[in-house]
Amino acid sequence: MAEETQKGLSEVERLYRDYGVRTRELKNQGERIIAYFCAFVPLEIIAAAGFVPLRIRGDVNEPITKGDVELETIACPYVRSSFDVALKGRYGFCDGLILPHSCDSIARTYSVWRYVLGFPYSHFVNLPHTANSSSMEFFKEEIKMFKKSLERFAKKEISDGDLARYITLYNENRKKVKALYELRKQDPPLISGSEMTKILVAGLSLPVQEANDLFDQLLEEIKKREATKKKLPRVMIVGSTVDNHDFISLVEESGASVVVDSLCIGTREFWPETQLTADPLDGIVDRYLGRINCPRTYIERKKGDTYQDDLERRFGDIGMFVRDYNVDGVVLYMYKYCDPFGFEIPARKAYVDSLNVPVLYLEDEYLSGTTGRLRTRIQAFLEMIE
Amino acid sequence: MAEGEATQERKKRKTATEAASRISSMVKAAIGGTVKAKQEGKKLAYTFICCSYDEIIRAMDIVPVWTENYAGICAVKRDVNRFLERAESLGFSRSLCTYALCGLGFDHMREELGEMPPNPPWGGQARPDVMLSSGQILCDPRNKWYQAAQQFMPDVPIYNVGLPWPLYEDDIELAEVTDYYIKYIIRELRGLVGFLEEQMGRKMDYDRLSELVALSERTWDLMWETYELRRAVPTPMDTGDAMNTMVPEAFMMGTQEAYDFYLDLNKELKEKIARKEGVVENEKYRLLWGGGLPSWFALTDFNYFNSKGAVFPVETTYRLIEPMVRLGIPDTNDPIERLAWRWFKYWTYWYDKARKRPGSEPDVERLIQYIEDYQIDGIVMHEAFSCRTWHLGLIWQLNQLKKIYRPIPILHLGRKMARETPSLILESDIVDMSSYSEPETRSKIDAFIETLESVKSHQTA
Repeated sequence: MAEETQKGLSEVERLYRDYGVRTRELKNQGERIIAYFCAFVPLEIIAAAGFVPLRIRGDVNEPITKGDVELETIACPYVRSSFDVALKGRYGFCDGLILPHSCDSIARTYSVWRYVLGFPYSHFVNLPHTANSSSMEFFKEEIKMFKKSLERFAKKEISDGDLARYITLYNENRKKVKALYELRKQDPPLISGSEMTKILVAGLSLPVQEANDLFDQLLEEIKKREATKKKLPRVMIVGSTVDNHDFISLVEESGASVVVDSLCIGTREFWPETQLTADPLDGIVDRYLGRINCPRTYIERKKGDTYQDDLERRFGDIGMFVRDYNVDGVVLYMYKYCDPFGFEIPARKAYVDSLNVPVLYLEDEYLSGTTGRLRTRIQAFLEMIE
Repeated sequence: MAEGEATQERKKRKTATEAASRISSMVKAAIGGTVKAKQEGKKLAYTFICCSYDEIIRAMDIVPVWTENYAGICAVKRDVNRFLERAESLGFSRSLCTYALCGLGFDHMREELGEMPPNPPWGGQARPDVMLSSGQILCDPRNKWYQAAQQFMPDVPIYNVGLPWPLYEDDIELAEVTDYYIKYIIRELRGLVGFLEEQMGRKMDYDRLSELVALSERTWDLMWETYELRRAVPTPMDTGDAMNTMVPEAFMMGTQEAYDFYLDLNKELKEKIARKEGVVENEKYRLLWGGGLPSWFALTDFNYFNSKGAVFPVETTYRLIEPMVRLGIPDTNDPIERLAWRWFKYWTYWYDKARKRPGSEPDVERLIQYIEDYQIDGIVMHEAFSCRTWHLGLIWQLNQLKKIYRPIPILHLGRKMARETPSLILESDIVDMSSYSEPETRSKIDAFIETLESVKSHQTA
């Protein structure tokens, strides 16, 4: 009975620990797999072309050894780690690679990835930095080009019907994630932050329908749980990409409940849905350029707005989550060499201060060995909240 | 300050050309000019070099303030620490672009004091009326810096100009994407004009803009022709000087002064060539500065190379020009369209060439062309820790070059071998001196020179 109630979580653990296991199985069954980076690659198009998308992860427990032979150490450590494990063959079974224009560390290394790793197919999705009307128009053309390139490789035309089907499936996926997050609103939460991270990571290694089925199962299982945990300070993590549970676990082991985030992999990419528009590409353009709130996309200050209005427009999601999830403290968690987020730290701190919520800023290096040294600062922060 | 820091200012780098030695006073006058312009009530724009809209700013009678350049000046004057430390105290990580950190630290001090920080290098950086960000394919700081500065200058509006170019792809012909890139860049530049007109309360004079664009294009051609003179053996000017002579190209486009500067430089180089006067007396090694911005506080390293008989006849850094006729810009009398085409065509200039060589890429193809045109013996690059924009991918370029380029087969000990082009990557920063060690750098240079010598000996044998 206990096994039955943990079936979904056991599967999550398997998918998380042996990342990519399901896509390798599918590959052996004749499916084609496309590896991709970051939140800005339109998954709906990859799936509609008949491929299984697999999110590229790094590995905080794997020292970077091979990667530095081809890539400078000044790249964002998350990109470096991902490249290192890719070079060690972790994604060698994939048929293609897609990188988006997220930041310099990704854009500037596109050539390195594609030549050194030698995937049969590669493509770079060039998102503009601004999201005004001319940028949207440009990005639609860029997305059409991406679709055309993928169609050539797939030797298959992607129909509007295929796109609409996958838009619906991915929106369902996002809705299920939101439903899982709902279970974190109660105090103590029914699901921990580290469990949530593992679930999201596991989901990104599956075809979307399989991820949806897994999430349904998890929802059923977790809802049956009884909250027995002691009430702890409720913490929100804000940062760039966290694709492992180590840091989240560290915060939780230090005596907090991580109840929500503004992260990739987290709310930043699971909250925005793709509108099902008459031309499906319009909805895709709108979501990926206009709705994913990452600092790489410049949010224009509206005429007449005060600076505080501007902060609200840029960071309002943090305020919303702080209120909705009854957050006691915010941890800004950044990687060294991350220019897009790094230049926002003082403004983000000022915004969180304006919410009258304590905030802790931590800089890390995407390596479990360095994460541990943050423990004392986290503990001091939690004591201050309590 | 940091009073003591001024005394740390290094001995000036020895220039090979008279023209390069004039640059320092030109830059000083330009920076002083921005402070004076502010006092006279003129409008100032914070902006970045080589963004294709210099002429728009000048045609609107706005005074450009090149913020990256001012950070570079602070580095040359060895007066950056107080600004970097201020930025760090505000919560900016020291691992971010140090141009931006220096600028943000300076601006914060100026805003807090209500006047320039004490003893600012060359009179200081004046407060802007507008800030023009630049959303390119590269350089996240150009997209984020001014937005960060708004925290302490909330009244200064920003316009962020989208200026993408396509990355090189094997399966996509440039012609397939050109139209929508050009259309977008034109719209973005027109948007900039509209923003400036609104902020300045005056209309763009398009005849003047056309004149300035035409003047810039003549300057591009003249600069290219002048730099090509450096192919001569011995070379009359090297990269050490080019780190000065880039100033008119980067900061003065659309001015007669820039054109006249290259006219003088052109004349000077021709005279040197006629006299067979090189950067060094006995030119032994011809090197390509193949990537990376220099350590502005350690430009004398170029003199150190020279002292070993090594010269740099060519560099990729700041040589952001190609002759107009080769760019193949379609006929148009619209200056905004010309600016857009110039931008797009420059950044995609090497794509067709790369396509012809399997495994090549535009950046690598450019190295190959310079190696051949300038009779290059070795490549030197600089990896600045705080700048991902220009310093990622350098290792790969060198590795790829070795894989795909077999320029001159040589016979050695009866075996046919490919000529090696030795390379060196120096590591430091653009402005943060804490990352630099002169003994370590020079010992790396010494070892590299030994390698060059060894390769030469083999070739001779």
